[in-house]
Amino acid sequence: MSLLRVENVTKRFGGLVAVDNVTMEIAHGEMMAIVGPNGAGKTTLFNLINGVFFADEGKIWFEDVDVTHYPAYKRAHMGIGRTFQISRPFASATVQENIAIGAMFGAAGSETNVDQAMEMADHYIGLIGLSSHRDKLAGGLTPIEKKMMEIARALAMKPRLLLMDEAMAGMNPKDIDKMVDFIKRIRSEEGIAIVALVEHIMRAVAGLAERVLVMHQGAKLVDEPTKIALSDPRVIEVYLGVPPGEADA
Amino acid sequence: MILEQLAGNLFQGVVLGTVYGMATMGLSLIFGVLKVVNVGHGAFIMVGAFTSFAVFEYLGLSPVFAIPVAFGIGMALGMIFYYSSIRRLLKGPELASLLATFSFGVILEEGVKFLFTSDFRGFNWDLGKIDMGFTVLPYAKVAACLGSVIIAVLLYLWFNKTRAGMAMRSVVEDGVGARVCGVNVDWEYALSFSLGIGLTVASGVLLTMFVSVGINPYMGGEYTLKAFVVAVLGGLASPYGAFFGGLVFGLLENGSYTLFAQIPGLEPFAMTRFFSFLILLLILLLRPTGLLKAK
Amino acid sequence: MKGASRYLPSIPVLLAYAALFVFGLLNPGRWQLVAQLAFYCALGQAFNLFMGMTGYVDFGYVAFLGIGTYGMAISISELADKGLGLGVIVIGLILSVVFAVLLSLAVGAVALRLRGAYFAIATIGVNEGFRYLIEGARIWNGSEGIIFSRQLREMVGREAAMSLSTFWADVMVFGVAVIATVLTIVYMRGKIGYALAALRMDEDAAKVMGINVTRFKIIAFITSAALAGLLGATAWALKLTYVFPADVFGIHYTVEAIIIVLLGGAGTLLGPIVGGLIYGVSKYYLAVYLPGFQLLVFAPVIIVVIVLFPEGTVGMIKRKLIGTALEKYIL
Repeated sequence: MSLLRVENVTKRFGGLVAVDNVTMEIAHGEMMAIVGPNGAGKTTLFNLINGVFFADEGKIWFEDVDVTHYPAYKRAHMGIGRTFQISRPFASATVQENIAIGAMFGAAGSETNVDQAMEMADHYIGLIGLSSHRDKLAGGLTPIEKKMMEIARALAMKPRLLLMDEAMAGMNPKDIDKMVDFIKRIRSEEGIAIVALVEHIMRAVAGLAERVLVMHQGAKLVDEPTKIALSDPRVIEVYLGVPPGEADA
Repeated sequence: MILEQLAGNLFQGVVLGTVYGMATMGLSLIFGVLKVVNVGHGAFIMVGAFTSFAVFEYLGLSPVFAIPVAFGIGMALGMIFYYSSIRRLLKGPELASLLATFSFGVILEEGVKFLFTSDFRGFNWDLGKIDMGFTVLPYAKVAACLGSVIIAVLLYLWFNKTRAGMAMRSVVEDGVGARVCGVNVDWEYALSFSLGIGLTVASGVLLTMFVSVGINPYMGGEYTLKAFVVAVLGGLASPYGAFFGGLVFGLLENGSYTLFAQIPGLEPFAMTRFFSFLILLLILLLRPTGLLKAK
Repeated sequence: MKGASRYLPSIPVLLAYAALFVFGLLNPGRWQLVAQLAFYCALGQAFNLFMGMTGYVDFGYVAFLGIGTYGMAISISELADKGLGLGVIVIGLILSVVFAVLLSLAVGAVALRLRGAYFAIATIGVNEGFRYLIEGARIWNGSEGIIFSRQLREMVGREAAMSLSTFWADVMVFGVAVIATVLTIVYMRGKIGYALAALRMDEDAAKVMGINVTRFKIIAFITSAALAGLLGATAWALKLTYVFPADVFGIHYTVEAIIIVLLGGAGTLLGPIVGGLIYGVSKYYLAVYLPGFQLLVFAPVIIVVIVLFPEGTVGMIKRKLIGTALEKYIL
């Protein structure tokens, strides 16, 4: 049984086909990267998976439940967590409150009261190393801290599937390596499946994912184990002939 | 008998609806460009009505002259309100601009009350009437209807034939793209806001042809509601959609009045007002996704 | 903050109401002013529960006060001769809440599915729309309204009717203010408070976090409406003993509620009472110097507050107190 199954999903905005007949599957605990240039439809695919948008065609199954028409909050309750490409912290709430909100309303939310949520938040704040910022307003964090806080907020939701949108964009190679290690760690500690969207940081893809799905102009181009995918000539062509090893920046 | 009455009222509805349409174009223009809903819309119409009244009663001039005066007053008010507050609120929560435009309305209402008291006023621009058999139409209303069409056509020409108009359209269609192409978006915002207010105040002059004794500082609330109905009928962000929404609303309003008047025990005037509110809710209920997408 | 200590911020608010009440009792000559202030504070507290906590502004809010006024009016005019005594007043209070809740469900079903600007558009006509329904379909006597001072006198006697209108109605307004305060802090400190805060800051992100935003908005909307209904039943119906649709659906009460909440600080617990006192006292003195034009003064004040001090008075005080011992008492 797969955790998530996306079947022939299409999404159009006016005349533009943002996601074009995409089919994909994610197993429990799997780590997958979706790569593709800007505008390839990656974020739209995420939005369809977690219910920010609804698919025009096709079906989405989560743990064998047809969630195609479920609103975003219901999918969150079922165990789909999400971070955003451009961080969306609750700016005038503290770091602790931000993360506690994830704990209060996520998959374990119905059994979590405010006090318990705050305790869980403290745990995740420690995990991301932001303990000294616990009572700071989230709006005042640096961009990288905001990204970390968003990951903690999503983890506090106790998801079974975590969708990470460009978690490493704008980071230097050292931070990327740290982030890759961190993602690997939380994956094994929390036992969750992770899908990461990556625009062009191949270093991260190679270090992180077991499987790579390459999107191009809304459609699925390649869906293979990482090694095979990254040496696929079509993939290299999508990235304008730049060999994967040199596309780090 | 009832059919003749209905035909007459529907015809009047088209004439009034044209003016409603013009009176809503400013609201749609402002929403289309700035994504700000002018909750004080009706108060600006009221200012136009008082301009018309003042020009006619105090200066003894035809209301035709009140149109450019009202338009100028509206442009000036628009600039003042834009630069004093709207400009600083565009990036903030939507709540802020809603409360600000609402407050503009209150300021205008209270300011006009301060100057003119809250008495009901009116004037009669007597140009004679035309008897069409099934209904009688004063020429003043014909003039208001024609004036609305002319203003709508002028706006269309301005948008499509002048550089300034095309620059503004580029902001509606793609704010970022327009910025990249060297359009001064801040100035376009200021201009659209004051143009929208100018059109709205000018429409108040035209509406006075239909409210012979109803000019009062608080007359605007009714028009705010009507303008919202017209605007959602025609698509909130499109001035031309608003124009046709106005026609539809004029027909609905006068048609429903005629029918309510046939039902004993009802106050047709108040029921018509309630009905327009009901239309608003129904459109918002039936097409919320469509309307939200228009955003 | 854990356990009972998270409710500490209600202490200054409740103390302020107690002080105002005692001041009124000790200065009978000022009771009318005190009652008026209590009304404004209660109005702000009730309005803030929705606007302050969700960031949505309901321009048709006064409709809930209006319909609450009718709830009490109908109860007294229909049941006065049934020998229920003061039970009629209790039934009136219940009816006013029921009416307000039903109307808020009807309005909310349409409006709360809409975002921002569209929500405002859907609500701005509610008070007018409802007024014209009552007048147009001649519901509850239509535009002639309901006058029930005679029934009230016959029910409880002249003396009691008098003290009900001039004193006990005002005491009940204090009661509404206190209930509104307690509900506000319970909401703010509960999960619903975090849900509303999240959706106020970023509604789409809130949904992704698993927050059923519509459900929480409806709860806040209904609560705020029910309080308005009680306020209409007490501050208007019992006090005036008549109701006319043209009076109780007037939009300027919504304007006043907005002014009070913004002056005090939207989304704060202490804000409405601070805003209510500032507005009420200023209005009282403006009525002496500039009768009938208090809104001409206050409408520009709203704009100044929105542009320059969007956090309101309490928001600014709160920022000053961060890190001090007083911090945990201010919300």
